[in-house]
Order: sequence, then C-alpha cells, then structure tokens
Amino acid sequence: MLLVRDSMTRQVVTIGLKNTAAEALKLCRERSVRHLPVVERDELVGMVSDRDLRSATPAFGDPARAAALQKIVVSDVMTRDVVKIRPDDPIEMAANVMRERGIGGLPVVDGSALVGIVTSSDVMQALVLLLGAHEPGSRLEISLPERVGSLAEVAGVFRDAGVSVVSVVSGPASGRDGRVAVFRGDTIDPGPVVQRLEEVGYTVYGPPSE
Amino acid sequence: MSGKAILVHDRELEKYGFGPDHPFNPLRIRMTLELCEAAGLLEGYDFTATESATESDLLTVHSLNYVRRVQQAGLGEGEPEDLVHYGIGTPDNPAVPGVHDAGAKISGAVLGACRMVMSGVADHAMCISGGLHHALRSKASGFCFYNDAGVAIARLKEEHPGIRIAYIDTDAHHGDGVQWMFYDDPEVLTISMHESGRYLFPGTGGVEELGRGAAAGYSVNVPLDPFTGTASWLECFEAVVPVALRAFGPDIIISQNGCDGHRLDPLTHLAATTRLYEEVPRRVHDLAHELCDGRWVATGGGGYDIWRVVPRAWTALWAVVSHQDLPEKVPESWIESRQAGSPVELPRLMRDDPADFPEGPRAAEIAGRNRRTVEAVERRVLPLI
Repeated sequence: MLLVRDSMTRQVVTIGLKNTAAEALKLCRERSVRHLPVVERDELVGMVSDRDLRSATPAFGDPARAAALQKIVVSDVMTRDVVKIRPDDPIEMAANVMRERGIGGLPVVDGSALVGIVTSSDVMQALVLLLGAHEPGSRLEISLPERVGSLAEVAGVFRDAGVSVVSVVSGPASGRDGRVAVFRGDTIDPGPVVQRLEEVGYTVYGPPSE
Repeated sequence: MSGKAILVHDRELEKYGFGPDHPFNPLRIRMTLELCEAAGLLEGYDFTATESATESDLLTVHSLNYVRRVQQAGLGEGEPEDLVHYGIGTPDNPAVPGVHDAGAKISGAVLGACRMVMSGVADHAMCISGGLHHALRSKASGFCFYNDAGVAIARLKEEHPGIRIAYIDTDAHHGDGVQWMFYDDPEVLTISMHESGRYLFPGTGGVEELGRGAAAGYSVNVPLDPFTGTASWLECFEAVVPVALRAFGPDIIISQNGCDGHRLDPLTHLAATTRLYEEVPRRVHDLAHELCDGRWVATGGGGYDIWRVVPRAWTALWAVVSHQDLPEKVPESWIESRQAGSPVELPRLMRDDPADFPEGPRAAEIAGRNRRTVEAVERRVLPLI
C-alpha cells in the first residue's frame, strides 16, 4: 500500500531527443500532461516539462516565437541529470523528493526500463484516498498525550461505539505540545464518541466558538 | 402567488425509523402533522397517499447488489460482515425489520409527489418523510438507505426527456448523495448550502466540487462556517440561489428542507432560527413561480431537536407550500398532548423570538467568511451554468 506503483501513471507519454519544442508543447496540450520523459532507443535520457519549453522560447505575441518553436529541439532544453524513483519506493519518498527538488513529476524506472511517471497530482490523489476525503465521514481532531497506547485507547472508543474508522493519521501538533490524531469516523453522529473521549480525558477540538 | 398544494403522506411513511434511542425518530413526522392540524392548517387538505417505489425505480440510482442487501437487512437476513460493507448494520444505519419497505415507501412518495406536480394535479407538493439525501448508489449513509430525491429525479428524466430539474438542499449537512448521483449531468442542477465539512459529516461539499465534464458548474456548494446565523445564511442564499436558478432555467424545483441548522440542533454547529425555515421556502416558492409555473416539491430531511424545532419548522414549510398564514402561537392543545413526553419545555410561539438567540461575538467575522465563500462561488461556479 502507498507505493509509487499504486499511484503512478503507467501509460507514459514520451518524446524523442530530436523533436521540436513545437511538437513537444503540442503533445503536452493534446495529452493533458506537463512532464515528458525523453526516450532514445528505449532508454530514459532526460525529462522536459512544459515550463522548460515555454521558458526557452519567446513569449506569446513575440514575432520570433514561431521560428524558435521550430528551431529549438528537446535535447536543447531537457534536464539530463534526471531524478528517478522506483516502483516499489513508498509514495511519501516520491513526495519528499519532489518537495526537496521543487519538481512536479518523476519518471518511475525499474532496472533500466521506464515503467511509469508519478506527478504531484498523483501524490494528491493518494493523499485524498489515504485520508478518505472523498468519502462520507466526521473528522475528529484529538489531542494525543505522549504515552504508549493512547492511539489504541482512542481507537478503542470508536470500536466500543461501533463506529468504523475511515482513516486515521497522527502527527506532531502545530503550536501545541504532544501529538494530535485526526480520525475520520463513518458516522453522522460522533456525539457519543466525543463524549466518551472527553470522559476518559482526551481533548477533541471543536469549532472555535460562536 | 398561488397554486394548488398537496400533502403527500400516509401512516406507512412513519415506519422509517431506527428506534427510540436513535436520533432519526419518525415521531418528528407525527408531531409535525399534529401541529399542522392543531394550527388549523390541514382543513381542506387530505393526505395524498402514493405507491411504494418499485425495485426498478430504486435501480435507477442504486445498484442491484445494494438493493438486495437492504432487502435482506429488512428481513433480518444477510451476514453482518457483508452488510456493513454496504453501510448497513452500523449505529447510523441499523439493520431494522422492514427497512427496505419503509425506504421504498418514502422514495415512492417523493416520486409520486413529483409526478403529480408534473402532471398538473398540484402546483406544489410537500412530503416531509423525504429528504434522505446521504444515501449513495451502493451504500447506506447518515440515516439514509434509499435516495428519494435521486429516484424521483432519475424517473422524471426518463418520463420527460430533456427536463431540467433543480434540487435545492438547505439541510445542515452536505447533500452528497444527490450531488454524486448527478455529478455528470448538466440537466440536473444541485445546490447545497450546509455547514462546512471541517467539523461536520459528511466532510464533502466544498466550493470546488462543482460538477464534472459537461456538468461543470451544475453542482453548487455553499459551505457555511460553524455558528452561521439566519441573517448571514439568508444573505448567502440570496446571492447564490436565484442567480443559479435563473441561469439554469428549471422545469421543476425539488427542495430538501432539513432543519438541523437550527441553533438547538444537537448534531450540528449552525445557529439558525425558525425564521430561516420560513424565509427559505418563501424564496423557493417565489422562484418556482417565476421560473417554472410554480412546480415545486418540498421534502423534509435532517432535524434532530424533534421537540422544539422540527414540528415548528416543517409546519412553517407547509404554511408556505399551502399559502396559509402561520398562527402566532403554538396551539395549547398540541402542547398539552405532547409536553408530558418531552424532555424539554415545548415552545409557546410558532416563531423563535430573536432575543432568545442573540448573535455571538464572532457573528460579523463568520458573516465575512461566508461572504468570501459566496464570492468564490460567484467567481468560479455560477459563470459555468
């Protein structure tokens, strides 16, 4: 679960070294993609984004634009030192690489074969699925003291109430001590769960105030 | 403005419920109709009964696998581990005897109400048992098994090719089930105004959920801040709903009139008063006359303060639907018959006294935040209709 291969796009739209900027931009537009792996004799040799192509050519309205689009070829503007990821790497690793390097798409390479591409949209899709944000649920933000078993105790309150948990994540609380857990419970009426959690000493963060 | 009104109801519709300890209690339907009667608002209005929805009606928006599971649950059959996969047998949606029949009855009532309005038997119809807007194609959700509005819309589309249907949902919870059923359909406009999903079920219903493909713009969502009061709510309604409806040009309007956005409702964080539940139907009524010869079907929905809020809110709804004046006072006879069973003191006036519900200190801030939400809807969603 949550591996690059679960989220990547397998039908990769690629481009060749000698294709023109005009051809590459047309491909981006037609296939609704922004990142093109550059392939030469079945080998990944570079990456080019629509942004690379645009910034290498004169702006719209510039009379020199049409000629430049025909003259510039992909090998002129592509990134050669490509950051790659493997299909069995965790999706959070792909997310972290993209964040660190400020890039929006990574080619997925198995051995020397290009097997897919993973973009920031794929990472967002994974986040939505992970959190169940597209599914009905009640979101409860619960303070979690730093002691072994607190997460299990909170989960037990959901279990005792018969409420299934759509998703759960926990992490450091921003601006507060300790940790916080976000539970998404499959119920329109989390009242009994909240009440029980408060009885056993947990804080459930509700809306600010009237 | 006028138009003939009918009240679609029969006692069978009061069987949809999950026991006295469950928030969704059909007693609220009974008490509402008793209040309507005590207030003299049922004189000349017989209850209009309808057929249950058939299996094929339900299959217009639900999967066969799901309908089979609801049928099993209603007969006390089926494996709990299997049913729970379909949202059945949870604390929200218990597998109670007869749940299929009761749910099909409600879908049939709302479908029947829509058919009578389309055929001209009536201009307006109310069915307060309807409004089960969370039911999904293959899942019971949020007390809802079958999506009555979804079934009615799907059938109307078959029976009247090219019909344009507007669905307006002012329940405190996002009208997710109906939205998703018609998310790709530009002939169905869904508008949902609800408490934002930040602290409330189902969590969806952001402005950017605006429909897909050719239907982009035809799912309108106005997520309101917690503690939104009547004034800000109505301001948002006025900014969005008439504009969206006029751009769309409906042939019929179906409204979901959940009243769980009231300040006293135990499940939500909104802060409306009964004025909202009088003003919203009035506006919907007038827009129906302006845009579609008055064709309007009003359903109920959520509402969990069943003593102080629901009977008054939906009596006010019926008064608008049937063009009658709401009395000032709650009839003594109704209070006498119901006070003993109530855990709280029943209200004396049909309309809340605003002095009992003063605005909170953050009211202006909340109204400002809602205004920015509406601006986003105006900028990004409404121009697409």
